[in-house]
Amino acid sequence: MIVSLLVIPLTLLGMQQQDSIAARLAGRVSPDIATLVERLGTAASARGLPVDPLIQKAIEGSAKGVPSERVVTAVSWVAMQLDTAAAALREGGVVTDTLVIAAGEFAISAGLSNHDITALARTGASVAALTVGLRVAGTLGAMGVPSAENIGLISAKLRSGQPAGDLLSVPARVQAEISRGVTPAQAAAGLERAAAAQARHGPPPGRGNPPPHPTPPPHP
Amino acid sequence: MSEHEFHPLVKQLLDGDITLAALPPELRAEGEEALRLLAAVDRSVVSVPAVTWRVMAGLERRRRRVRPWLLAPALALAAALILWILPAKPATPALVTVRFVLVAPDAHDVSLAGTFNRWDAHATPLVRSGPTGVWTATLTLPAGQHQYAFVVDGVRWVPDPGAPAVDDGFGRRNSVLTL
Repeated sequence: MIVSLLVIPLTLLGMQQQDSIAARLAGRVSPDIATLVERLGTAASARGLPVDPLIQKAIEGSAKGVPSERVVTAVSWVAMQLDTAAAALREGGVVTDTLVIAAGEFAISAGLSNHDITALARTGASVAALTVGLRVAGTLGAMGVPSAENIGLISAKLRSGQPAGDLLSVPARVQAEISRGVTPAQAAAGLERAAAAQARHGPPPGRGNPPPHPTPPPHP
Repeated sequence: MSEHEFHPLVKQLLDGDITLAALPPELRAEGEEALRLLAAVDRSVVSVPAVTWRVMAGLERRRRRVRPWLLAPALALAAALILWILPAKPATPALVTVRFVLVAPDAHDVSLAGTFNRWDAHATPLVRSGPTGVWTATLTLPAGQHQYAFVVDGVRWVPDPGAPAVDDGFGRRNSVLTL
């Protein structure tokens, strides 16, 4: 009986995961794709990986009218990228959760390498900040910013401990620089220099903690 | 507690089956209200009604008839496992309003499909503004990252020319929106 009590929750875990995946795929993909995604998703979940990117890719492929075998290849590829991202994050000393792994997978799909992911993980940023950093790095990669400048800029931003809102504004600032005629690499390098200078000299006026009040001069 | 009954699509939203963006425009306000109520309920203290107390008391009496020292460790472990597998309720993300624009003078209809509406090519139509062929849609999306494409005349998947894009794994490009 004790063994049964232990086995039931574990069985429920697998059934719940499969039911959840099946419910989300119902009516959106063919039965053969659904079966594969259920299998891949249950295995991925057991390895601590997110399931949502697999489900999204399967639905996306079906919505676009892509042949089943090509959808299967794409979903399997996403699963591999999730594994790569998780390994790269662990290599960087990050205790992974599904959100940061999904962000890493996106960054890889946008052209970053596992070494890039590990480099960002080693900045010592919180998992929440790293998640945003990886998504922004992926976006910069999609904008054509080369890997070296991309990782340099996002690493500087993560090390400076700025709020997530500042990180999220980086793609728009890079785009603004590109609109002025510089290359994506030059735009990112310029912002990295500014971030490094800011880290040395503190935030610009009106940002960050206010300086302490100066000591009043002694009375004569 | 209100006797208000939510629309079935709003119930799907609360269940996490669809996103706010996937709701028809006339149901968005109801959906947002439902999400606000859900967030409020999640934070509130749950009171146990008298009937439940009686049931719990009955269970307590029954439990005394078994030898709990034999089952307690297994029950505790089983309960911990069940709690572990129960999905945690995600925090409600901030919502951001975004305007999508595509210039397609020759198109008869344009819609938006992406991760926010489960890639449904019919869920989010754009509106043609004037004779210039400018198509627009304004959506309220949860903060985070979204991938999307425009669907022109129901068949042609077109990335947003004004947004960065990534390989979609199917030989096309998805636009990326980071909010």
